[in-house]
Amino acid sequence: MRRAQLTVYVVEDDASVRDSLALMLGLGGYRTALFPDAESFLSAYRDDWTGCVVADLRLPGKSGIELQAELRARKSALPFVIITAHADVPTVRAAFHADAVDFLEKPFDHAHLRAAIERAFSREGHRLQRAADNAKLAALTARERDVLEHAAMGLHAKEIAAKLGISPRTVEVHKTRIMEKLGVRNIGELVRFAIAAQPREER
Amino acid sequence: MTTAISPVRYVRDAAVFAPCYIALDWASYIDPVGPFNITPWNPQPALAIVWMLLGGLQHTPIVLATIFVADMLVRGAPGGYFVTLLTTVILGGGYAVIAWMLRELLGNAGLRSSRELTVFCAVVVGGTTLVGGAFIGVLRGAAQLDESSVPAAWLRFWIGDAVGILVTAPLLLAAADRERRAGLLVLARRPETALQMVVLLATMWLIFQGLGGDPRDHFYLLFLPLIWIAVRGGMNGAIGATALVQLGVVAGLRSDAVPAFPVVEIQALVAGLTLTGLYLGVMVDERERAAESLRESLRLAAAGEMAGAIAHEVNQPLTALSNYGQSALALLGAPGGARPQLAAIIEKMLQEASRAAEVVRRLRELFRTGTTRLERVSAEELAASVRRIAQELIGPRAITLHLRHAGDLPALYVDRLQVELALRNLIANAVEALSAQPVADAAVEVRLLREGDDRMRIVLGDNGPGLGSATRARLFEPFVSGKPTGMGLGLAVSRAIAEAHGGSLEARPGPRAEFHLILPCAEPS
Repeated sequence: MRRAQLTVYVVEDDASVRDSLALMLGLGGYRTALFPDAESFLSAYRDDWTGCVVADLRLPGKSGIELQAELRARKSALPFVIITAHADVPTVRAAFHADAVDFLEKPFDHAHLRAAIERAFSREGHRLQRAADNAKLAALTARERDVLEHAAMGLHAKEIAAKLGISPRTVEVHKTRIMEKLGVRNIGELVRFAIAAQPREER
Repeated sequence: MTTAISPVRYVRDAAVFAPCYIALDWASYIDPVGPFNITPWNPQPALAIVWMLLGGLQHTPIVLATIFVADMLVRGAPGGYFVTLLTTVILGGGYAVIAWMLRELLGNAGLRSSRELTVFCAVVVGGTTLVGGAFIGVLRGAAQLDESSVPAAWLRFWIGDAVGILVTAPLLLAAADRERRAGLLVLARRPETALQMVVLLATMWLIFQGLGGDPRDHFYLLFLPLIWIAVRGGMNGAIGATALVQLGVVAGLRSDAVPAFPVVEIQALVAGLTLTGLYLGVMVDERERAAESLRESLRLAAAGEMAGAIAHEVNQPLTALSNYGQSALALLGAPGGARPQLAAIIEKMLQEASRAAEVVRRLRELFRTGTTRLERVSAEELAASVRRIAQELIGPRAITLHLRHAGDLPALYVDRLQVELALRNLIANAVEALSAQPVADAAVEVRLLREGDDRMRIVLGDNGPGLGSATRARLFEPFVSGKPTGMGLGLAVSRAIAEAHGGSLEARPGPRAEFHLILPCAEPS
């Protein structure tokens, strides 16, 4: 995964805090995009945005938590880090129930913010990887899928051929096609891919 | 339960106690039944009980010896030494048991609550009844009293001891208690106290001399100055006044100015007067303490709410400062050419620092002097604040905000933070009322209206269940809350803020809950 794809979307109504966050994150090597409130973020939002949102809890209009709920309703999985200048237990609970990566109280330690963003990015990285894998798997034919499943169980070409009632040579052809489609170079990677893909197919 | 004290102190205390007890016994040996110490006024048991209560039961032997000696010296041991010995054991033992019970039930017997006072009275009245019964029983058994005089003698003994202890013990306890002593001294220095004493003494003179006739007929007059004193001076005043009344009554008796006093009945009246005074005094004290703790918590709660609002204000510049500082550090580490950028960052840091300092300064001013930092807040800014606060408070609930304002509203001249706090309290009330009892089309309505030339009227209403007239009357009292979790301070704080601005906050009668907040506007510039 390339870091450059990932952006920190800052939603903060206080101009000084927004400006200083952008400067600090920019110097820290993050790409940032700034919004003064939830509405302007939502009107600009596109489905292919990746990275994480750092949102203030108290915003004019929709709060940070409401913004998160709105994005989840739009099937966006963008991870959220909520920041606030005045926290109480119910709002912290609400933030975590809404699946925030972290909840930071202002003034926060920059290392904590960094750690939270990194956690969010790694969550985002896994999500993107999974999405890419699933897209590749979707390109397989039904027969290729059968072959992949059996290969994942560690069966050899002859055993797979016997099980599926086709010739070993055809199995080998399928394997080659599968490796091409999934972009893997050897049987070891193929097995890893299959094992990694399986549990997610069950979902 | 005894307190260990040195032998020297033990002997010294005994040397003070014994003469005092004997002197009191002598002074109060009036109107007896036969030659015995059955008199309608007996303050010396109070001395013995308070001594054993405060000093511990190890003083009991001294008390017993003193009672024996006093009976010999004052009355010449009229029933013979054996009877005196028996009565001494009954009296001394009885007082020791009373002292022990008070100590167990009340600890230091500070008589600071009506419960403590009730326990004290019950133990004293019950204890003296039993001691009196045993005392009279011994005399009857020794054939010193005839059958027919037993009930009257018992009554006289009981009244004498009970009144003596009820009047004298609180005074002695107060004298032994540092805090009470200081309170009595403060009271004694008040000019009002001298006037009260004069009125009390004059009333007593009227009852016993001035009006003539039976003193019982006009005894009730004494309740008037006593109530005055107890209401103004609390328990300390009541203790002093009842002691003075008792001394006045006794002085009247001893002077033989008026012959044939119905002494026992007058002492019964004194007992009633004493109980009234002490209960009134202790309730005045309790009320005063409750009011003080209420004022204290009001101050704390107002400070707490204000601090919450201001924490938000002060944390914003601190966050920016911290971010800029971190950025400056990162730039310093970067190779070359960062100087102009660094200067810009440091400039911003200075701005943020003064922004934080400004909030803190305003906070300090508010708490130190109650002064506020007034600034122009335009009607549009106010409307934006209302909208922001309402949206924040309403959250995901299905409540709409109707915000309307007249076109040509002047700017307010107020402390923005404080006014926002007051608005927040009022809007929170409306939202909670609507959430507690869901209604169709739930809405919070806020109207901004011109009020005369130099004021703005902000009307906040909701279409919830509304306010009953009883609720409305008590609305602004601290700690009266309609909410199950409320502290009931929000409205009191909001009104305080409105009044600090020279404005007002009131609840309007009507089917809907409606609050009218009036605030001053800026000078027309």
